[in-house]
Amino acid sequence: MDVISTRSLTKFYGKTRGVEDLSMRVPEGAVYGYLGPNGSGKTTTIRCLLGMLKPTSGEAMLFGQPVALDGSAVRARIGYVAGEVRLYDRETGGWHLDYVAGFRGGHGRLEKDLLERFEFDPSKRVRELSKGNKQKLALILGMAHDPDLLILDEPTSGLDPLNQEAVYSVIDERVAEGRTVFLSSHVLSEVERVCERVGIIRLGHLVAEESVKELLGKRLRQVQVTFAQPTAPSFLAGLPGVDNVLAVSETVFTARARGDAVDALLKHLATTRVADLSIQQASLEDVFLEFYRERDASPDAEAEREESR
Amino acid sequence: MSWTLLRATIHQRRTSLFWFSFGLVLYAWLMTWFWPQMGGDKYAELIESYPPELLQLFGGTEVPMASLGGYFQMEYLGLMWMLIVASALIIYAIKAFAGEIGAGTMEFTLAQPVSRVRLAVTRVIAMVGYVVVLAIASFVPIMIFGPRYDIELSAKTYLLLMSFGGLFMLAIGGIAMLLSSMFRDGGKPGSIAAGILVLFWIADLVANASEAAGFFEPVNLVSYWQPGKIINDGTVAAEAWWIYAAVALVTLVGSVVVFSRRDVA
Repeated sequence: MDVISTRSLTKFYGKTRGVEDLSMRVPEGAVYGYLGPNGSGKTTTIRCLLGMLKPTSGEAMLFGQPVALDGSAVRARIGYVAGEVRLYDRETGGWHLDYVAGFRGGHGRLEKDLLERFEFDPSKRVRELSKGNKQKLALILGMAHDPDLLILDEPTSGLDPLNQEAVYSVIDERVAEGRTVFLSSHVLSEVERVCERVGIIRLGHLVAEESVKELLGKRLRQVQVTFAQPTAPSFLAGLPGVDNVLAVSETVFTARARGDAVDALLKHLATTRVADLSIQQASLEDVFLEFYRERDASPDAEAEREESR
Repeated sequence: MSWTLLRATIHQRRTSLFWFSFGLVLYAWLMTWFWPQMGGDKYAELIESYPPELLQLFGGTEVPMASLGGYFQMEYLGLMWMLIVASALIIYAIKAFAGEIGAGTMEFTLAQPVSRVRLAVTRVIAMVGYVVVLAIASFVPIMIFGPRYDIELSAKTYLLLMSFGGLFMLAIGGIAMLLSSMFRDGGKPGSIAAGILVLFWIADLVANASEAAGFFEPVNLVSYWQPGKIINDGTVAAEAWWIYAAVALVTLVGSVVVFSRRDVA
């Protein structure tokens, strides 16, 4: 069963586009990464899914039910952590936990565990909390009830690496127990660490949807090769999928190779004497930026930019 | 209605409700205490020293100013009381919807399993509670302290003051709630609600002195609020009940409907 599905979901704020013609599916038990830069439509999508925004056209479904503005039953199965944490400043963390418990018929079964793991003190008022501690509170509030679907919008922003890892491990545990996670982020390493499948949103459109494995397959490699004797740059420059060839010295060259060009590159290098070879994976950020560069250069993207002006 | 939300709403408004109520109790007690010293013949002399046009402008023709009703209407339950309760209710109303949407806390609440209609109805019920507390704070001190200062009013008069005053507050609060349900931050609905009240007051003042603003009279909420008449005669015009009840009902139901259908973000 699809936990999340949208069909031609479109939301305009007056003339400004939020998302347009968005169709996607997130099956039960999946960890879906929703990638895009700020302003691309990630939060609009989430708000349409939660029934906070009324779609201009199209449809959003959760657990097979159409999302209704006034629907509340389906939200009992969802834990949501907003991108920008906004809580009641004058109230304490404990007050917020009681508040949520009031709506959900009691305190969540994971509440104690999460409070301990995040080392969070619920007796302080929200206005006294640092950004990171507010984020921790929002995560505890969103996850304590062990919801069937976790919708996380930039969940680790403001957290130190230790707490980030704590969040990832909680997500891993939830997924191991069959829960579904929809994680919106522009931090690609986070998506790489947690998700199985990724949707890439750009200017309100879902422009690609693939597994993290596939995305990593397209990942760029940074290659440094040291030849046993002086070699001409043209030896590497003509290879398909290899670019940015730079001569560091007469024998040392650096280049960038696409994942699917590595095999051909190695076979080509085998035709000469190589003294040393280093192949490092470029970050997912580079893949993402490359993806955007490719799209930006396309005539469709140009037309899209014109339209959005 | 959601009990969790009702408790939270009252908890979060407790400070402002306390100070408004405390202010009203203090004000009511002071005006009751001043009556033997300021009221009666002395008050009549003072009032007669004012130009008749000025008295007419402030509704002086509706009730005799030297009477107990005239004294309370002029010194407490007229303009000043309306200002205090309207401020309290507009502040409550703008926070109820628009203020929370602007602050982002509405998104947090609506991420919980509570429907918008339940949320809005709960906020309306909390406002009714707010009105009851303000009505008690406005009139009960006169009932308690009045007999010590030669103020004896019947139970029916107090009941009328509280119920009709409460209905007036609900009508004003309803307008503010409806405006609050339409906007995404508290500034605009607060300003518009205050602007509507100022318009009512100006129209009322002008209508007392000239017929130029008479056309506005049938819908002017301020004109119908005549506490001096209630105190002196124990009566309220039937159309006044209807107009307040209709405005309160339409605006409060309207605020629930608008909030349940709008974008919240």
